[in-house]
Amino acid sequence: MAFLEINDLHVHFPIKGGILNRTIDSVKAVNGVSFQVEQGKTYGLVGESGSGKTTTGRAIIGLNEITSGQVIFEGNDLAATENKKLDVKRDVQMIFQDPYSSLNPKKRVLDIVAEPLRNYEKLSRSQEVERVADLLEKVGLSPESIFKYPHEFSGGQRQRIGIARAIALKPKLIIADEPVSALDVSVQAQVLNFMREIQKELNLTYLFISHDLGIVKHMSDRIGIMYKGRFVEEGDTEDIFSNPQHIYTKRLVAAIPDINPKNRDAQKKFREEVQLEYQKDYGRYFDEKGLAFNLRNISQTHLAALPEIGVVE
Amino acid sequence: MNELKLDVKKEKKAHRSQSGLNILWREIVRDKLALVSLIFLAVITTTVFVVSGLLDLNEIVRVDLFAIYEPPSENFWLGTDYGGRDIFGQLIIGTRNSLAIGFAVTLMTGIIGVSFGLITGYFGGQTDNMLMRIVDFFQILPFLMVVIVFVAIVPNYGIVEFSLIMTGFLWMGIARIIRSKTLQERELDYAQASQTLGTPRWKIMFGQILPNLSSLIIVTMTLNLAANIGLESGLSFLGFGFPERMPSLGTLLSYATNPQTLENRWWIWMPAAILIFLLMLSVRNVGEALKRATDARQRRG
Amino acid sequence: MWKFIVRRIIITLPQILLLSLFVFLLAQLMPGDALTGLVDPNLDPAQIALQRERLGLNNPWYVQYYDWITSALQGDLGQSFRYKMDVTDIIAQRLVNTFWLSLLTLIFTYMIAIPLGITSGRFNDTFRDQMIVGYTYVGFATPLFIFALLLLWLLGFNFGWFPTGGSVQPGLTPGTLDYVLSKLHHLILPALSMALITTVSTVQYLRSEIIDTKQKEFILTARAKGASESRVYNRHIFRNSLLPIAALFGFEITGLIGGTVFIERIYSYPGMGLLLLESISQRDYSVVVAVVLLFGIASIIGALLSDIILSLVDPRIRIK
Ligand SMILES: Nc1ncnc2c1ncn2[C@@H]1O[C@H](COP(=O)(O)OP(=O)(O)OP(=O)(O)O)[C@@H](O)[C@H]1O
Ligand SMILES: [Mg+2]
Repeated sequence: MAFLEINDLHVHFPIKGGILNRTIDSVKAVNGVSFQVEQGKTYGLVGESGSGKTTTGRAIIGLNEITSGQVIFEGNDLAATENKKLDVKRDVQMIFQDPYSSLNPKKRVLDIVAEPLRNYEKLSRSQEVERVADLLEKVGLSPESIFKYPHEFSGGQRQRIGIARAIALKPKLIIADEPVSALDVSVQAQVLNFMREIQKELNLTYLFISHDLGIVKHMSDRIGIMYKGRFVEEGDTEDIFSNPQHIYTKRLVAAIPDINPKNRDAQKKFREEVQLEYQKDYGRYFDEKGLAFNLRNISQTHLAALPEIGVVE
Repeated sequence: MNELKLDVKKEKKAHRSQSGLNILWREIVRDKLALVSLIFLAVITTTVFVVSGLLDLNEIVRVDLFAIYEPPSENFWLGTDYGGRDIFGQLIIGTRNSLAIGFAVTLMTGIIGVSFGLITGYFGGQTDNMLMRIVDFFQILPFLMVVIVFVAIVPNYGIVEFSLIMTGFLWMGIARIIRSKTLQERELDYAQASQTLGTPRWKIMFGQILPNLSSLIIVTMTLNLAANIGLESGLSFLGFGFPERMPSLGTLLSYATNPQTLENRWWIWMPAAILIFLLMLSVRNVGEALKRATDARQRRG
Repeated sequence: MWKFIVRRIIITLPQILLLSLFVFLLAQLMPGDALTGLVDPNLDPAQIALQRERLGLNNPWYVQYYDWITSALQGDLGQSFRYKMDVTDIIAQRLVNTFWLSLLTLIFTYMIAIPLGITSGRFNDTFRDQMIVGYTYVGFATPLFIFALLLLWLLGFNFGWFPTGGSVQPGLTPGTLDYVLSKLHHLILPALSMALITTVSTVQYLRSEIIDTKQKEFILTARAKGASESRVYNRHIFRNSLLPIAALFGFEITGLIGGTVFIERIYSYPGMGLLLLESISQRDYSVVVAVVLLFGIASIIGALLSDIILSLVDPRIRIK
């Protein structure tokens, strides 16, 4: 049994219209997605804007209603039990993309970080202050900050407050939706490294959502690549980067700038090849509706949405 | 850790929420007109409440047939009405009554409207849609007329009934405003985060979202207060507000529906007219200043 | 856009249904019923009971409602207990008076709003503009009934320029020129006092609309092409700002309804508003019910009109 198992997840949003404002169609934001995450590992979810990454993450934690499919966390189907089993919910937490809107501007840091504690643990006032100060220390903020308001912090500091809040209940799974994309590049690496540190320390599992394949490569053990609500390819980080199969993945990989000057020429050549194939064969990778095919195994760990008849290479 | 606890009080003072009430306060102080209005309101309110505490209500509303329609004099600073009752005393008590009901109705409509708006806005969906249609409907109805009819048919009509009727039809405006703001607020990450942290929904509504609506609520309620004072005096003027044994500013004005009083005895209605105007104007001044303060685009400096 | 209008009209029907139910409910709450006004109270109670049965007053409420609404649709709103006349006839007279009052008020409203709004918008932040802004500022805070009282006191009583009550001088024959002039004379002051207050929102709206339009591309182009300044204002800016003004028209109707109650009371002008007040104090409830129903329908139609006009003018609200 996997730690987290997503089976054929669908999340559709209705489109209303017509004179009576009926539901006339739906946006299939997540359209049949399956994957498994192992405990203590980081699973990276990549894709362009609108591909359904956020919706997948939000569906897992219960912020978006699941149209069909299963989200099995440690053997419990979160889609079925919904809000009833609070104890399951406390094990799954989320780090939000925007550190500005994700902290209530009217609340002090103490109230923000203590919010989950107040919901699940009965602490005395002084115990609570102590716990919050500990958490702040853990994320690298001075404990004196507890009486400040969010607007008194920088973006990076705010994201740390968000992380402190997410780890307050010692969760097992954290869904991190683009946790650094709103931050300055200089601060990004700091926050990312810090996230890896606490992962080791607390044995956390991450579902790491990003549109930046470079960052995902740095963070993830396994990667799923989404396009229009479906997976086009899934594999260990090694599989995806050294042996991309789907044209969409190839283009993403080719677009990553390589810092190592020795590889520049190879990189350039690879990019040109991909561009050529993209122009020639792009259509073959998708069905009549422009959606990705079902995933098929390439190797033990590597799956790609390739057309039935064998393709290039 | 101990040091930390000792500092709690001091630290709390040192940090203030950014768009908090103190910004509103600063904005009022900076706006001279609003400040003068506020002081005026404070003075009038204290005066009428203190003085009316000293005055004997029964003395004022007692009919004295030897002193009807007296012009202003030393005995009666603002003259007397058709029952020989002192106008100045009635003015004080009337202002107190008008202010009191204005505050009461504003507060009640505020509580009902805010709760309703928060709840329907937060839950959204089909029920919310239906309730809003009904609110829409009641807002279209000619408010004045419906209130008049209600006042006329309610048995044992009194001041409590009057404020309840006004409240019954006036909470919807603020409910709509709060609802549409809540619809936006609940989609913001902080509200979503609360959900993932296991916070119960009523706590998210009243503990997380409500504080973010505070400026909007204060502005709306201030402007409502001005409107409610006007409405009350209008209804009392028509004879569908305060009962006569409890004069309000509108009651004094209603004496002016007698042409002779209107033409020849200005002292009966003119002071009340001026007071209503000044009260409404000052409350509006304060409200507009608050609105400017919350409306970031119009923020000065 | 047609979709929006159709949808909006469809919403109006349940609104009117709801209104009729609401008014019916009010009527039930009122003391007495259709019979109270008709029969001699000294009649034998058994007789009265028989009458009640015959008139269907013992039927379940939905049957009574159905009877009431069907006869109302045929123009039968019952009998006035005080005038011993058909309610419809009483209302017909008063409605005409209120119609003229409202019409003249609207005319005054726009006669005031358009020049003031244009001047204020065109010369914004000049002395003239400040005067007009000051007027709208005071106008916003002034309750209509206080202003109307003051105007009556000043122009009616102190200066004696206008009659202080009624809708026409008694003794004149209808149809003569004198009669018409007298009617007009009685109308001017009530209409003016209402217009001076209600116009302020239109003035403000027009002003900001013009200030907005001034900066727009096509105006700058027209200027650059050498069109004279007044031509720019009269042809381009004004025409562009006029439609939004039309959108306020529906709201004016709703505002007028509240206003007429005060105005008719203060100027003793025999219209619908005064009729409502009189009937309530005389407990003539069948008239009250009819007046509320009519005013309610007028408000619903007013809201419908403004929404439709607004949707023609401003595409954004259609999305709603
Ligand atoms: N609440 C909603 N109602 C309707 N449509 C929605 C809703 N949330 C998301 N969508 C739609 O679902 C699709 C997927 O959105 P999602 O936010 O999951 O994409 P994403 O991969 O996270 O993109 P980004 O990188 O921009 O964050 C988009 O087309 C979006 O418009
Ligand atoms: Mg996203």
